[in-house]
Amino acid sequence: MTGKVVTYLSLLFLSLSAFIVAEEPFRTYSTPQGKKFEGKAVGYEGQVFILSNRDGALFKVPFNALSSTDKTYLIQAVQQNRIPKGVPAVSPTPSHTSSSDSTGLKGVDFATQIAPILQERCNDCHKAPYEKNGRTMKPKAGLRFDTYELLMRGNDDGPVIAAGDIEGSILFEVITLPPDDDMIMPPKGDPLTSAQIDLFRRWILEGAAQKPTGKVVAAQTESEASSETEQKKGDGVEYRPEKKAKAAFRKGSFFAHVVVPLGVSPDEALAKAEGAKPKPGEPIDFDRHVLPILEERCNDCHHAPFDRSGRLVNPKASLRFDSFSEVMKGNLDGPVIVAKEPENSRLYTVMNLPEDNDLFMPPKGGPVDSEQIDIIKRWIVEGANPSKNSVSSTKGGIPASDEPVSFTDHILPLFESRCLECHGAPYVKNGRTIKPKAGLRLDEFEWVIKGNLDGTIVTAEDPEGSALHRVITLPDDDPEIMPPKGDPLSKDQITMIKRWILEGASERPAAVAADPNAAPKPKKTETASTDVDAQESFLDVLAKRASLPSKGQLIAAEKSGALVTQLAERYPLVRAEFSSFASDIDDSALAAFGNIKNNISHLDMSRTKISDQAMTSAGSFPNLTWLSVRNTKVTDNGLRSLSSLQHLRYLNLSGTQVTDKGANSLSSMKMLEEIYLWDSKVTEKGVAALRQALPEAKILF
Amino acid sequence: MMTNFEKVDELGRREFISHAAKSCLGVGLMPMAGSYIHNSVKALTPGSRPAAARHVIYLNMAGAMSHLDTFGPKPNNPDIQGPVESIPTSADGVILSENLPKTAQHMHNASIIKTMVSSQGAHQQASYLMHTSYLQRGTIVHPTFGSWVAKLSGEINRTIPMNVKIGGGGGGAGFLEAKYGALPIGNPKQGLANSKMASYLDDTKFGSRIAMTEKLNENFATQYPQKQVRAYSDLYRDAVKLMKSDDLNAFDITQEPESMTELYGASNFGQGCLLARRLIENKVRYVEVTRGGWDTHNDNFNAVANNCLDIDKALSGLLLDLEMRGLLKETMVVLTSEFGRTPNINGRDGRDHWPYCFTAFLAGGGIKGGVSYGETDDRGRSPVEGKPIKPEDLNATIAYALGLPLNDVQYSPSGRPFTVAHNGEPLFDVLA
Repeated sequence: MTGKVVTYLSLLFLSLSAFIVAEEPFRTYSTPQGKKFEGKAVGYEGQVFILSNRDGALFKVPFNALSSTDKTYLIQAVQQNRIPKGVPAVSPTPSHTSSSDSTGLKGVDFATQIAPILQERCNDCHKAPYEKNGRTMKPKAGLRFDTYELLMRGNDDGPVIAAGDIEGSILFEVITLPPDDDMIMPPKGDPLTSAQIDLFRRWILEGAAQKPTGKVVAAQTESEASSETEQKKGDGVEYRPEKKAKAAFRKGSFFAHVVVPLGVSPDEALAKAEGAKPKPGEPIDFDRHVLPILEERCNDCHHAPFDRSGRLVNPKASLRFDSFSEVMKGNLDGPVIVAKEPENSRLYTVMNLPEDNDLFMPPKGGPVDSEQIDIIKRWIVEGANPSKNSVSSTKGGIPASDEPVSFTDHILPLFESRCLECHGAPYVKNGRTIKPKAGLRLDEFEWVIKGNLDGTIVTAEDPEGSALHRVITLPDDDPEIMPPKGDPLSKDQITMIKRWILEGASERPAAVAADPNAAPKPKKTETASTDVDAQESFLDVLAKRASLPSKGQLIAAEKSGALVTQLAERYPLVRAEFSSFASDIDDSALAAFGNIKNNISHLDMSRTKISDQAMTSAGSFPNLTWLSVRNTKVTDNGLRSLSSLQHLRYLNLSGTQVTDKGANSLSSMKMLEEIYLWDSKVTEKGVAALRQALPEAKILF
Repeated sequence: MMTNFEKVDELGRREFISHAAKSCLGVGLMPMAGSYIHNSVKALTPGSRPAAARHVIYLNMAGAMSHLDTFGPKPNNPDIQGPVESIPTSADGVILSENLPKTAQHMHNASIIKTMVSSQGAHQQASYLMHTSYLQRGTIVHPTFGSWVAKLSGEINRTIPMNVKIGGGGGGAGFLEAKYGALPIGNPKQGLANSKMASYLDDTKFGSRIAMTEKLNENFATQYPQKQVRAYSDLYRDAVKLMKSDDLNAFDITQEPESMTELYGASNFGQGCLLARRLIENKVRYVEVTRGGWDTHNDNFNAVANNCLDIDKALSGLLLDLEMRGLLKETMVVLTSEFGRTPNINGRDGRDHWPYCFTAFLAGGGIKGGVSYGETDDRGRSPVEGKPIKPEDLNATIAYALGLPLNDVQYSPSGRPFTVAHNGEPLFDVLA
């Protein structure tokens, strides 16, 4: 009965409007560029006129795009009320269609009933490619609805219309989605009216043919669909809008697929999409139980900031509910979660407000399912813990000593605060690409492990061998200490990094925490080197008898023209050698060594102009072990002064004037290990005698 | 490439100038520039222990020496040895190929590493790795080992460079100060070119020219009182001093008696070794002598025998000479190549590249005598006993003997850390 009334009213409205508004005639419009087209103005909206062509199809023409003659004409027409304001609700169709539609005697006609809707609501996007600003604009999704054939063809993914099957017709599915669904079509403006949707429904059910078939499907009017609700309202029952269901897609539908993010197993994604429900008694897991609810009901507004057509869209109220840490962070007004206290947790309380309260959340789509609210409540009561396997409670801080270090939760936050300024991803500044320093990036696990071109910075289980650990443990004043700016890392932070390395330096936390104070594994080289050093120990024995020479003493000694160098760092014994301008050196030079007599263990006077007098000085250096007077004028007389040297092991007399007599004077020096007599005046006989006296020594002749 | 390696021990004039310019203009020839004046007590001994060796003579067999026909023969295996026999040496149980009879007499002072391995099988890349311990890259030039030695061991004389390269190219200091780079000597017989005062100048004329230079530089020097600028004027002053000193005679092997040429051989390589010994006597830290002609893809056995005539004479002469002068105790002599050659003899009677196994010969300062480290499989294809010794391990071994701090980090201009022998581990089995 109600249906009839509505039909009657609409008929009345049509006839009334025909009376009130004098219909515009078809005329030829033109643009300033001279383009001409025929049409009949049927309405206007702001600066845009809606014209109808002879087929009844509507198209929009911006007022400014018309020639001045047309502008004047249209202004007059509007002033004379010849053109109604607004867009005609239904395309003005020839009256016979209208009547046949209302009587339902004939099937839906594509050309007169479907095409105009497509033309009006779809063809802005789904039309023939065209040029705009020199670019070819292609139809969106590769779909064109400007002819019947193209509509039926669909796109590469297949047809969008399945004749006789509204459930299989994607086109029908998208126009019937809830208005806030991402996929609803048309994406702009209001959804299609229920009358328009019904036309599609009937047309598809009738076979989606170009010309009406014999088959006729009864119309289902909006009033019919909503009559029940209306009735309830009329009956005085409290009106409560139906909780708008999350778009429920038919199983297997094009849109019903579950998005599987990278790195997530499909099962996990599916479970999440279906909102895995905790079993009774099962502790609530944030990632598995809570996050899906937040994602479904909150993340539309409380999302991570994102960029929409050049504008940064920030989350509402600065609240983000897209991860555990963000949920716990709250906003400037404080946290929204207080562990174990649901009544103080704003996230929970706003869901339980009366719905007409301004602060009731979510503001759209009806209240959260009571079961879901219960999950959130249970989660808070249980302590609002992070998901077991994902995030540490000490994220961003220092893990407890028995908690294995997590790269994501402990190491990376530290890197973020102290290292990424220099060792982050490359970025562009003033048109220049700023690369990470030393080619080293620390912003992702892979980069940290990769190190840079010079090799890795982390060696698992070997903190001492890891450059990362080394540079943070340098003394404060070392120029290479990292970070170079600000305070050095705290002891705890260093221990944390050390532990992470000891635990295997992997992305996932190790099973067991390592003891940072455990003795490092002994290294082969260290033990071996002590063996080698042991052989040098006779020098060390001598070294104990001398005190470290001061810098001043060394400089004074160098006045002689010699280079005076310590045998090793902070080593008392020194080597003095006249290596440069040796030919300018004479006996007087050794006077400069007075202050370091006890320190000289090696003395090289080869190729100088010294004489036997210098040997007297050399004989007064008690710790002398190595003496070379090669290629000098030294004679037998000089050797006599050496007899007091208790530790002389190396004596180079090659190229000197020493004779058998001098060689003989060496026989008493049992410490001598090497004697070089080549090119001296010593004869074979002398050498033989010396060899007999010093059988252990190596005597080269 | 091949021609380059065949001519590797000759240095073209142009090449010499470019190397010398790098070395000298970068305050190179006179490393005392600066140090002589304001840095006399530099930490010359960065090590924590007295060094076992003070000098290195590195004999580089460019083109890759056949290890099987020299220091790593496989006796009783004519299949891979061809006609080459093995001979005993002065060290028990150590054998050499018959190509090195004179060197065999010095094995009691030397060690052989038979398990050298390289990751690079092309000459340039492998040579780069041997010399720098790092893989060659487009973005950085690593210092050669000699430059590291010069940098880390400190100067032991004030007039001539710490690092000299006789024959062959390269030897650059990479990102280290240019003065640590090798001073290139093209032909050992000619010594150091352009180091004497021109004959048409007398002291007065020369002095007035120097005075003029100083006057011209005065403004600049006052305006930019920086270390680098000062270093240049120091360089000039020291260069003049050096030019007039006897120390330059170190480069002049014509002062050696004829008997020395007989000992070392008259070949370029022999003369190079002789010059190396002269330089060591004059307190040069690191001398590299390059001998090319080892890329024996064809006619391996004749070519190697020929090369070995040279090598054997020069190497044994060098070892003998050093020992007689009392220098062998602190001078390490290293002989190796960038990689080895295939045990399989190819169709042209030659051997091809073989980086999976080759040998290094070390003698003298800091080295244990009579050691043959490691063993290879019966075809000499790869190490089966002992650690495989990578180029960086060999360099670490040398550096250790020199008392260099293996973990001293030097930073490239871009802030990357480098060490003297990368992460090589010294081979203590051959160290005394």
